[in-house]
Amino acid sequence: MAAPSSAAHKPRRKAKKTATYDAIAKPEALVRTPSFPLAAFLWPARGSVSQWEVLPLILMAVGLFRWAAGLWGYSGFQTPPMFGDFEAQRHWMEITTQLPISQWYFHDFQWWGLDYPPLTAYHSWLLGKIGAIIDPTWFELFASRGSHDPTLKIYMRATVIVSEYLIYIPAAVIFVRRYSRLFGVAPWTAWVSLVAILMQPATILIDHVHFQYNTVMLGFVLSSMSSMLAGRHMWAAVFFVAALGFKQMALYYAPAVFSFLLGSCIYPRINVGRFATIAIATAISFAILILPIVLGTLYDASRGIDSQPDLDGPHPPLPIFPQLAEYLDTNAICYPVVEQLVQMVHRVFPFSRGLFEDKVANFWCAINVVIKMRKYPAVLLQRISLAATLAAIAPANFILLIRPRKELLPYAFAATAWGFFMFSYQVHEKSALLPLLPMTILLAGNQGLGKDIRAWVGFANLLGAWTMFPLLSRVDLKVPYAVLTLLWAYLLGLPPTSTSAYFQEGQSAWLQWSTAIVHGAFYLLMIVWHGLAQFVAPPLISLTCGSSRMSESALLASRCVISGVLANWSRKAVYLQET
Amino acid sequence: MDSGLPPFFAYFECAMSQIARLVDPAMLRVYNLGYDSWQTVYFQRFTVIVSELVLLYALQMFIDSAHGTSRRAAQAAAISILLSPGLLIIDHIHFQYNGCMYGILIASLVLARHKSGLLVSGLVFAALLCMKHIYAYLAPAYFVFLLRTYCLSPRSIYKIQFFNCVKLGSGISAILGLAFGPFALKGQIPQILSRLFPFSRGLCHAYWAPNVWAMYSFMDRLLITVAPRVGLTVNEEALKSVTRGLVGDTSFAVLPEVTPRMCFALTLLFQAIPLTKLFLRPTWEAFIGAVTLCGYASFLFGWHVHEKAILLVIIPFSLIALRDRRHLSAFRPLAVAGHVSLFPLLYTPAEFPIKTVYTIFWLMLFLVMFDRLAPASNRQRFFLFDRFSTLYIAISIPLIAYCSLVHSVVFGNRYEFMPLMFMSSYSAVGVVGSWLGFMGVYFTS
Repeated sequence: MAAPSSAAHKPRRKAKKTATYDAIAKPEALVRTPSFPLAAFLWPARGSVSQWEVLPLILMAVGLFRWAAGLWGYSGFQTPPMFGDFEAQRHWMEITTQLPISQWYFHDFQWWGLDYPPLTAYHSWLLGKIGAIIDPTWFELFASRGSHDPTLKIYMRATVIVSEYLIYIPAAVIFVRRYSRLFGVAPWTAWVSLVAILMQPATILIDHVHFQYNTVMLGFVLSSMSSMLAGRHMWAAVFFVAALGFKQMALYYAPAVFSFLLGSCIYPRINVGRFATIAIATAISFAILILPIVLGTLYDASRGIDSQPDLDGPHPPLPIFPQLAEYLDTNAICYPVVEQLVQMVHRVFPFSRGLFEDKVANFWCAINVVIKMRKYPAVLLQRISLAATLAAIAPANFILLIRPRKELLPYAFAATAWGFFMFSYQVHEKSALLPLLPMTILLAGNQGLGKDIRAWVGFANLLGAWTMFPLLSRVDLKVPYAVLTLLWAYLLGLPPTSTSAYFQEGQSAWLQWSTAIVHGAFYLLMIVWHGLAQFVAPPLISLTCGSSRMSESALLASRCVISGVLANWSRKAVYLQET
Repeated sequence: MDSGLPPFFAYFECAMSQIARLVDPAMLRVYNLGYDSWQTVYFQRFTVIVSELVLLYALQMFIDSAHGTSRRAAQAAAISILLSPGLLIIDHIHFQYNGCMYGILIASLVLARHKSGLLVSGLVFAALLCMKHIYAYLAPAYFVFLLRTYCLSPRSIYKIQFFNCVKLGSGISAILGLAFGPFALKGQIPQILSRLFPFSRGLCHAYWAPNVWAMYSFMDRLLITVAPRVGLTVNEEALKSVTRGLVGDTSFAVLPEVTPRMCFALTLLFQAIPLTKLFLRPTWEAFIGAVTLCGYASFLFGWHVHEKAILLVIIPFSLIALRDRRHLSAFRPLAVAGHVSLFPLLYTPAEFPIKTVYTIFWLMLFLVMFDRLAPASNRQRFFLFDRFSTLYIAISIPLIAYCSLVHSVVFGNRYEFMPLMFMSSYSAVGVVGSWLGFMGVYFTS
């Protein structure tokens, strides 16, 4: 018999990568009992169960939680005069279906003027058209303001779920599959992480309870990331433009996208063709994005429809970039288009608002407790915040630029988005969803369900949900908040339901204790704060204790998370040098 | 709403109200009907969940009573009962305390598994009867089983175990005395009886429970169009009072009328058939089978049966559905038909996704899981029957879609009775089919 050659025993799949990773972390195959409740729930699905049996069940279960959460009230429910986000979304369906396209971005700013990019407007138009078939009174111009028809609520809730199931959920399924295969993670483990990702409390609370369409944007971002994993750089760019075109908040990820795409054009060798493809694809998708607005404006102008019909006399000068007017003739054919686009940018990026909103948990809000930031001029604050943000996101993006490794994508996206969330201008509580998404998808990665990552990801998510509590408790949504966050904590075996995510063998005791103490302190603080907010003079607590403590603690926690991410990087860096 | 339930349930409600007083006193003013503050809703829903702990305990008893290889199957069956869409729809959305009641029923059934538990089993069942008299439908099976295994000697049916008879008899009388005694002292028994057994109501319930009478009505509707050509006489009065899903008398246009006496006789007849076998071979499995068949007979032939009575069949059947593949193939159409027939109970658009998605989720999960767990039978299976059930399950999807969406789009508010009629006729086919199949399995195993 011939000498045992490696070719004779060649496994069908190359096991090189997994072997190296397993040397760093413990192999999962040795785990014989479920280590947290979610794994126990999916335990019977191990082995020979087909994905066509498991996936529909997962999607149905997750959908049921979303719909049931949607039975609660929404932002601005029966709270005149302005109502809330629900009314804003409904109002956009009203104006996009009832007004000519050139008036969308000019219509009555006082009543929830449209302040999202065009794709949101097109989305609203489509939903408004479909809704009008069911009941035209839902979207009547002016007459429908503040409508709280129960059937309208059901329709709107259904649109959120349908949008999510068309965009976010397929993206998440594909991303989890690709990302877990990158590390050779078993399919069953990937399903567990998929459930954990889809049950993220903050996302359900904001989209399905509070009412918004964030998952559409997040879905495009996930699609972009999975295109990056698959090596389809052009599609990554296209999807990211779609995300940006839906919500400008996607800019939080822009540096990471830029670094990765540029990095993959110069590493391991310079690839001009790829660079050109990405650049052209980006330009074309932006063009397609604004094309309906441009054409619509030209068409309306030719029909003599004014974009600002309520205005007596000439149009005011451009709100931003007034110097443009010097080069343009206000009577030229293209002037309405320029005016329209400038107006859109002005509506989408409102630099005139304050540094932060009421109780957002970012750095500026925290430091505001010590130094009153509002007394400084806006321009100075903008510059400081820009510098701080750049400093915060620079390291992560630099690493991604010189070594565009697919494994690092979620880390870099999370670090960049955290950087923006902590230091940028005009941050809203809901923006916490952006850094939470790339952090949570780490669960699908290498050792993602191990104690280390689970503890950190869980900590960030529960903190993130907690910072949204004031937003939710304002409209009496404490019950879904409590149920969804505690359920998620229970499923992943996290405090306050369990401490099993801490202390594992084979790690330095010092690191473990410090993690446990930091996390434990915050969990304790959250519990005490909730107790106080519930039973002791609510307004006092929420004003003083709430804003300052919460933001400070969240700030610190997020810093810890970032340092945790950096610690992971250093581990990865060791790995990179070894290979 | 009047209190149409026996005394023990009244005591149960009384205990609840003592707690409710602490939560919100306004809830309890006697004429405060239709009162629904948030606290009340929370409290009521919460009590349902808490009372379901009884079910949880009973299911744990059931799992503990199973040994060896059947233990995993018992666990699967227990989880399927706990997560039953029937209980979700009836208890947690529609609002009732069935989970607790069925918990007591299961506890009683499990107790009967061992000789030492027979007496307690009978007494628990008597107490259950005093909480909800719908379980009287299952009483014949209990009567025969306890008579054969407890009151008569296991060796010969001609030897009577007198001491056992005395124990059982005095226990049951004590429970009945406890339940009805206080009312008997005040002379309210006739009042209670008239409330418990309302024979003045019609043959079919509002939404047409999927039983033989639903098929009978459906046939009648079909015959209306055919009758003039064949030369049958059509009752003109009945044509005007077409059952539009309203409570009241169903009158038939072509087919003969049905009286309560006929229903009662048919029910007893079809209960007696399986009971003879139980009397001859009193094993625990045969007992559960007989309980299930008593439930079937009363559901299919009973007077004014409510859809939710299908749980009387599904829940005992779940306990033995995993014995082998033959049992499972009879259970499958029942699981689909029984749960689909509950859909009309929930009619608001907000509840629609919950009832359908949850039921489909449950059916997929448990039918797949049961399929893996049920061992092959050592007897010949019914070849045709499997095909029937697959086809049957497949039809349910377009039917649900039609009844809940397409019909209202096409016809608007006209012909409102049509989806209900289709739904209940479809479900009736499934229930009757599964009944016939299970009869076959019961008598051949």
